[in-house]
Amino acid sequence: MISVFLKEMKLNTKNLLIWSLTVGGLGLACILLYQSMQGDMKEMADAFSNMGAFSDAFGMSTLSIATLKGYFATEVGTVHGLGSGMFAAIIAIGIISKEEEGHTGEFLFSLPVSRTKVLAAKGLCISVMLLVFTLICGILYAIGFVMLSEEIPTGEFVTFMLRQLLMNAEIAGICFAISSLSGKNRMGTGLGLAMIFYVYDLIGRVVPDMKDYLYLGPYSYANASEIFSGEKVSVSAVIIALIITVSGVIFAFVRYNKRDLAS
Amino acid sequence: MANAIEIRNLTKSYGKNRGVIDVTLDIKEGEIFGFLGPNGAGKSTTIRSILGFLKFSEGSIRVLGYDSVKDHERILENVGYMPSEAWFYGAMKVADVIKYAADVRGLDCSEEAGKLCERLKVDTGKRIKELSLGNRKKVSIVCAMQHKPSLFIFDEPTGGLDPLMQKNFFELIEEYVSEGATCLLSTHVLSEVNKYCKNAAIMREGRLTVLDSPKIDDDTFLKFYEEETL
Repeated sequence: MISVFLKEMKLNTKNLLIWSLTVGGLGLACILLYQSMQGDMKEMADAFSNMGAFSDAFGMSTLSIATLKGYFATEVGTVHGLGSGMFAAIIAIGIISKEEEGHTGEFLFSLPVSRTKVLAAKGLCISVMLLVFTLICGILYAIGFVMLSEEIPTGEFVTFMLRQLLMNAEIAGICFAISSLSGKNRMGTGLGLAMIFYVYDLIGRVVPDMKDYLYLGPYSYANASEIFSGEKVSVSAVIIALIITVSGVIFAFVRYNKRDLAS
Repeated sequence: MANAIEIRNLTKSYGKNRGVIDVTLDIKEGEIFGFLGPNGAGKSTTIRSILGFLKFSEGSIRVLGYDSVKDHERILENVGYMPSEAWFYGAMKVADVIKYAADVRGLDCSEEAGKLCERLKVDTGKRIKELSLGNRKKVSIVCAMQHKPSLFIFDEPTGGLDPLMQKNFFELIEEYVSEGATCLLSTHVLSEVNKYCKNAAIMREGRLTVLDSPKIDDDTFLKFYEEETL
């Protein structure tokens, strides 16, 4: 199993570096832009905080973008949320199905390793990649704070990164399950799902009637504005996330062990 | 001689489509067994059922004395399989693919792999995506043989190989078989069966006919294909 895990890591390293440096780099650039925009931020913050539902949706009614903390939560929070969600979807949606799509399944599964062990290795690979992705992005964001000589709000920052990691794991869990269904490339479905979850959260924060159902989506407990303004996390949202993640992984194992492999 | 492969009443269908129907077959240890039949007759379905890629609905398969479902991993430890297409991970180097196959088996096969690469003239420094079908097939042969398995399963192995490599390939099979290995050879090439196989069977429309002798003439052989198209 360890050989399969190492091979998966090797094949995915380039992808991991490109995505983490791009998303982390974008976040870092956003943070560095804060200094040049700082002079105009006060007026902008006042305007943005009085835009009703729109301000609520982006957390600008509770946090001021005139402070680096508020700016980070609203701007970098959006960049990281979208980027990491898309990355989680992309790596998980193809990791199982690629063996049949690329016709490598006959080689891999003719070796003395069970489907369960192969899936365990692939699942472990996704977990490590999400963890490394979060670490690289976290380090780059922290560098941004240090470069601006601003104090890092450690508690909120770590909570934000960990909740984003959980959100990534939930999206990856769903995509892992979809990947086990057949040997077709469903990259579009994975990216679409990540976008739908993001938009669901956004609409849920704008439309008052949907607020009660926000907790169902993976972005609900990972919202940067809520975390940085000290709002308590919805326990039911986290429990649902854990249930969905575990269910997705179990479904993938059960389904993949039962079905025929395409040549 | 014990049976290396024992298939009893194997039936496999793909939804409403026919796969194989009531296949029963014994392949004795230490022989090269020819497996003939038109495209879509059920040869690959039978092979893929033996290897556990397909979940069959009826029947049983025993390989090297083990149950193909319960002892799946143990069977694969002693099997060398070469699929007809021979696909690998395009970004990997040939040497890495060969080592990867050995690593998953938990074996150091570097000595045997080195000998095989030399005899088959495999360029281990190239990336898989740079290789032609014939060269990918040579890598597949090395992966199937480097651990010196008790049973070889080859699905149309010589397509894409040049005549010299075909000769080298069969020399290698005969060497391993002389040391006690068994070989199931699925092919469309009658001359290969005539020349190398001790026993043979033909599949047609999902059903298996075991031949009295592998030495059949072209006309009899082609009848199986012609009747298929009628």
